[in-house]
Amino acid sequence: MKKTWVWLPVISLALAACSQEDGSDNASSNSDGEMSGEITVWVHPYTGDSEKEDAMWDEIVSDYESEHGVTVNLETIPWANRDQKVLTALAANNGPDVFYAIPDQMPQYADVGMLLELDSYLGDYDLENFVESSLVSVQWQDKTYGLPILQEAYTLFYNTDIVEEIGEDPENLPETWEEFTAWSEKAVEAGYYAHSFQGGGSMNGTLYPFLWQAGGEVLTSDDEVKINEPEAVEAFELINTMYQDGWIPEDSITAMAHNEQWFNGEIMAITGSGNTLSLFESEGYENFAMAAPLTNQEQVTYGTTGMFVAPSNTDNPEAAAEFIKHVTNEENQRRFNSVTKYIPTREAAKDIFDGQPHLEQIASYTQYALPGVIHPKGRDIMPSIQAELQSMMAGEKSPQEAADAAAAAIENVLAQ
Amino acid sequence: MEETARATVSGKSDAQPIGLRLKKHWGKYGMVYIFLVPILIHFLIFQVFPFAFSLVLTFMDWRFIGESEFVGLKHWINFFSDTLAHKAIWNTVLFSLYYIIPTMALGLILALTINSGIRFAGIFKGIFFLPVVTSFVIIAGIWGWIFQGTETGLVNSILGVFGIDSQLFLSSSGQALMVLAGLSILKVSGSTMIYYFAGLQSIPSQLYEAAKIDGAGPVRIFWSITFPLLKPIHFYVAIITTIGSFQIFDSTFLLTGGGPNYSTTTIVYYLYQQGFASLNLSYAAVLSYILFFIILIISLIQRKYIGKDSSIY
Repeated sequence: MKKTWVWLPVISLALAACSQEDGSDNASSNSDGEMSGEITVWVHPYTGDSEKEDAMWDEIVSDYESEHGVTVNLETIPWANRDQKVLTALAANNGPDVFYAIPDQMPQYADVGMLLELDSYLGDYDLENFVESSLVSVQWQDKTYGLPILQEAYTLFYNTDIVEEIGEDPENLPETWEEFTAWSEKAVEAGYYAHSFQGGGSMNGTLYPFLWQAGGEVLTSDDEVKINEPEAVEAFELINTMYQDGWIPEDSITAMAHNEQWFNGEIMAITGSGNTLSLFESEGYENFAMAAPLTNQEQVTYGTTGMFVAPSNTDNPEAAAEFIKHVTNEENQRRFNSVTKYIPTREAAKDIFDGQPHLEQIASYTQYALPGVIHPKGRDIMPSIQAELQSMMAGEKSPQEAADAAAAAIENVLAQ
Repeated sequence: MEETARATVSGKSDAQPIGLRLKKHWGKYGMVYIFLVPILIHFLIFQVFPFAFSLVLTFMDWRFIGESEFVGLKHWINFFSDTLAHKAIWNTVLFSLYYIIPTMALGLILALTINSGIRFAGIFKGIFFLPVVTSFVIIAGIWGWIFQGTETGLVNSILGVFGIDSQLFLSSSGQALMVLAGLSILKVSGSTMIYYFAGLQSIPSQLYEAAKIDGAGPVRIFWSITFPLLKPIHFYVAIITTIGSFQIFDSTFLLTGGGPNYSTTTIVYYLYQQGFASLNLSYAAVLSYILFFIILIISLIQRKYIGKDSSIY
């Protein structure tokens, strides 16, 4: 009897192990169709100002809760390793009911049945007001898996001092590859790099925009590999010229950033977006001018689209879908994008940038922004393409050989 | 009590009924078992279960959500034709070659330095250990800046002073892995130093005194006394640096993304790509088992050749 106490830790542990949530309090909807229960929403720190963001989310969430009677547990998840966090939480059936995703993730997750199809929850919901290019990112095989909240459009930022030094006019920046080439040669002749190039980063910021501008494609949704077709090879050739002729820094093969060289006044132009403007603002940097995305065969650039999606194993699909509609409505897009400085995906909400010419200018470029390769293998193929591009830049392969090798590697990934 | 012990030792355990023996055993060791329960549960959940689950996973097709499908040895067979996986293993072996001996050597040199009676030894120990406790992200950022492959990079600027051409470093297939190994050596040598320092402290001082009386110089003392008597430490450090080198991930993730042209794609980085970028979790599990077997085999070899007679004093 006197040893009874020794069982206490064992009993406590057994009870703790048995006390798993069964999710029954995440009730989906009442018999009369009204929503109830609670949902968990995972967002990320979109800016460095957590106070402002918290206040913004408080407003968005309280509006939703009072309108729909569903409690929202909003959790801010750090960006680092978010894929693992989302995937492991969903696998453990302990994940969010709504989370933030980007176009690379959406088709990959949707293809393996991880995402909730929203079409049946959208009904006659008006999608007309969304920017068309942003809706491309949330649909896969004619099904809608999310609604877009933000967009970005990448374009060229020029150092106006260098532009003037090479005898050009910052008011008339290059619009075509031909003009850009002429300016680049002048900049190199004057001792500058013409452009930045983050070869260690995503292909979305390096090869793809040039490839699309040349009228090429990487891979179609029908698994047709087009990266070694003549149009696409033209982009490989341009990048090869950029590297071999010294238009871009020597470390461009694996570089992740060239901010230091830019701020040191060594680079004529860099590719950037709204966050570049924020960086310039924080550094007090003003000697720049923005150009529209370049045109070769087409005027096009890369621009990610941020969206909210729901996992297919959510306990409360109606409430999750309703939250996605709520957070992406016109009013909340204004709230969200005013704080984060991203570009709203609803045309009507773009008025938040009235009187801010730079942001207004970037917002006008979202119509040209493609969100990457929308394909379930879109992310899988990227390392192979990157490796071939790096081989080419290192002089180990010609542009055509690199493109052919990339095509073979993509075929290999598709065959797996 | 003695009788019981004798009976157990001689194998004549039938003297008492098993129930009585169990009761006696429980009375004696019950508390030990109870206090072991929490760590045992932790061990089962976080070590045994993932180990067993990932083995099962190697025979399945499973992508986090949804039904899994039994595919037999498909993923294991795929490994043998996956040239990228082979390259990743080769890169990892190369990394180990660049990393293990210099890490041990530097750790030993640092330990000898602070053990030599130098003034402010405590401060030096702190300085040498600083990289160990500094965030890897910060160290990697600084390292990337030092070895920037442009003419204005720090090392290239110094090379320029001596008339040596700029090097690409992280953008060069031939140099990137060595630069990453340098980063890991810097990061880990502080820990190695502590192990060696502990080993040096435990060598009896009479041995040194006797050697000095016999007229041995510092070099002879090092090679005849210090180095051989550190054999258990060599063995331990070799094991942990080998395991560490085969698990290299952070530096390639932060500085090169596996490039250029896969020259810094290590086995763990490739495993990560397969598991979390391609959602090919089953194949990632196969790679993790391959890694496990490689480390196991190397550890056994090290134990056979370095660990023999490791308790020399």
